[in-house]
This record gives sequence, C-alpha cells and structure tokens, in this order.
Amino acid sequence: MRKCQDLDSLLAGYVDGDSAPADRSSVEAHLVKCPPCRERVAEQRTVRAALAASRPALRGCAPPDLRSKCAAYAAAHERPTAPDVPPRRRFRVSRWVPLSVAATVVLAVAGVFLFSPNNRVEALTTQLTLDHMTCFQLAPERLQHADAMTAEQAWLAQHRWGIHVPDSSTANQLELLGVRRCGIGKAGVAHILYKWRGQPLSVFVVPRTMHGPVPDEPVVRFGHEAVVWSDRDRTYVVLTRGQPSDLAAVVGYMKANAR
Amino acid sequence: MFSLTGRPLLDAMDEFTREALSYVDSLYGTALRLTRRPADAEDLVQDTYLKAFRSASQFRRGTNLKAWLFTILHNTYRNMRRHDGRNPVDVDSEFVEHAPEPATGYSPEQLLTRATLDADLQAALDALPEAFRQAVWLRDVEELTYAEIAEVLDIPIGTVMSRISRGRRMLFERLQPQRLAAAEENM
Repeated sequence: MRKCQDLDSLLAGYVDGDSAPADRSSVEAHLVKCPPCRERVAEQRTVRAALAASRPALRGCAPPDLRSKCAAYAAAHERPTAPDVPPRRRFRVSRWVPLSVAATVVLAVAGVFLFSPNNRVEALTTQLTLDHMTCFQLAPERLQHADAMTAEQAWLAQHRWGIHVPDSSTANQLELLGVRRCGIGKAGVAHILYKWRGQPLSVFVVPRTMHGPVPDEPVVRFGHEAVVWSDRDRTYVVLTRGQPSDLAAVVGYMKANAR
Repeated sequence: MFSLTGRPLLDAMDEFTREALSYVDSLYGTALRLTRRPADAEDLVQDTYLKAFRSASQFRRGTNLKAWLFTILHNTYRNMRRHDGRNPVDVDSEFVEHAPEPATGYSPEQLLTRATLDADLQAALDALPEAFRQAVWLRDVEELTYAEIAEVLDIPIGTVMSRISRGRRMLFERLQPQRLAAAEENM
C-alpha cells in the first residue's frame, strides 16, 4: 500500500480524470483503505468545482483599451507566413466546464438559504445566473417552442410539486422554450426558459420563502440582471443578460402569471 | 489607415491574431495575479503580445496557442523580477511541499456553499504561496493541461501535479476560517 504522502502528485490527476490507468488503480487501491485520503479527494473536487464556477469573475476583464493596444502590435508585425491550420480549439475544455459548473450549482443552491440575510440574495442570484448560463449553453438545440399546459403537467408528474408556467406572450415578445429542474434534493428549483426578443431569459421558481429583505432594485451578477421577489412560500427570480430598461413589463407579466 | 477597433482591422486579422487576442482577458487576469498592480499587469500583457507577434513564426502549429502565450507571459514575468533583483518563485522547498496538514472541520458541501462567493475565493487564492497559486490557477481557472503548465512554469510535470494537489488542499483550508466567521454571523 502506498503512503499518503506519495499520493500527492497522483491525486490531482485522479481528481481531474487525467490519470494513467496504472496510477488510477494505484490511487483507488489506496483510497479503499484510507478514509483521510478519500476526504482529500472530495476536498480537491470541491475546490476545483468552486474555481470553475467562479472562473469568469476570477479572470475579470482586461481594461477596454488594452486589446486595441495589443492589436496594434499585430498590425505592426507582418508575419512571413500565416498559419494555414487554425490553432487547436478547446474541445476538451468545452466538454467538462459546463458539467463542473452544473455540479457546483447542484451543491450550492441548497446552501443558499443558510446564508446571512445580506448574502442570501447575492448567493441565490449568483447560483441562478450560473444556472441560467449553463442550461442555455448545454443543449441549445433542444430548446424549442414549448406549450405551458404540457410543461406544467410534465413538471407535476415528474417532480410532485406544482408550478404555474407563464405561457408565450406576443405582447411581451416572449417565447416559452421549456422547463428544466436545477438544484439539489427532491424539490430542486424549477427553471423556466424563454426567448425574449431573441435573447435568453429565465424565470426560476424556488419552493422556499426567502427570509430577510428582498431588494426592490434588480441585482446585477456576471453581466446579468436578476429581479427577485417572494410570494407566499415561493421565491421567484427573473433573470436575463444586460440591463434592459424594459424588463419591468416582463416581470409584471411573470408576477401575474407565475403564482 | 485602419482604425484599431473598427471592422477593417478586424477583417484584416488572420486566424492566429484573432485567436491570440481572444485571450487578452485571461492573460490580463493572470498578469494581475502575478504582479498585483494593474499598471504592471497591463505592461506585462503588452510585452507578451509584442513578443508573440514578433516571433509568431516560431509558434508550432497544432499546439495550444493559449499555452504558448502563457509561456511567454510567465517568462517575461520571471525576467522582470530578475531585473528587479527579486528571486522568482522560491517556495519549492521540502518544507512547504511536505508541511503537515491540519484537520478540517467542515464537509466539502458546506464549504462550497460559501466558497462559491467570488470574493472569498479571490482572497483565498491571493493568500496562497505563489508557486501553488500559479499551478492551481493555470489548471482550474485557465484550464491548461499538466504538460502545458510544466512548460509555462518551467518545472517537471510531477511537480506540477503535486503543486496542484497541495494548492487545492491549501485553498480548501484557507476557506475554512471564512466559513467559520459566516456561521458565527448567522448565530
């Protein structure tokens, strides 16, 4: 049996799923007999998922004029030959990133209601913004026109708690695309997906009351705007990219039809 | 005359230039974490692109352009520090790599609910020793492979893997006291 310290360099590869088969078996053989190392694996997975979920915020944005300054260097250096094969695209990355983000969201939504009042709205909107991006990104081809009544019935049959799905609305330029389940536990969070004037818009129904103050103003997270309200034992969030000035009309429509 | 931000210049750019420039946020974010000063980070990124475009013919087609840019950035940074008279990255000691690991009090799930708050993660990352921060950052934020990180940081691949393991572990530990404080706030 390997010593725990010897395992250090192998654990990262094991957690990332990048181990050679021999290393993998060796790690697994050790883990069977060593609860502390199993804990270390869980910790690494946690940290990895947390970093993945916060990737855009951690990276931040370069100052606006930096890109154009750097582009000027390109213009100044004519290369003798341009590469005829486009550089490698990041297939590997695009496969696992949404999955790890989804994993993080699954774990995190459950904890949102444990936060202190000031952090709660922030944490909830952070997670739901990630959810919004993940769901629209994972399978855009599966998102087609959906019927509210059918979606409501399917949801109830599958998840055993009812929701009202506001239907497509020509007046509000809204098209219903479907309902997905996000979050943890049996209840989860109902994620209703729309196309609003050609851009993704989400309505989340959280089957819990939000204790503490709910802000009147929209919350901005990762370039998305979220409007949060509570009604009876439910919390609702409308979320879309940018800060559209006429979101209020859509929010009014959802408030009237989602309860 | 081309405008720097207008269509004509963008149209004139080839695939290489366009892809290279698409990493400006990543390179700046990494540079900021290395230098910790926005002005220095901007200089570092500009130096990186200057060198990259100057030596574009040396780029091996079919390899990862992003990793290549990161290698230039890190080399430039190491040179910058040498000029400053500071020793680049000197934490690869037996002591740090094999320091004993304290017991933990919270489950990963409990911790994650807290750790997903960006500010906590930022702070915890900034508190890591540089060598570990770089390895974890390149792997978990910038998504480079172990081999690419080994090249960027100019260290053996085994060291990369052990630094990632240890770095993630330290990060987990550093997030603990914040979790503790949050729990107290709630009481």
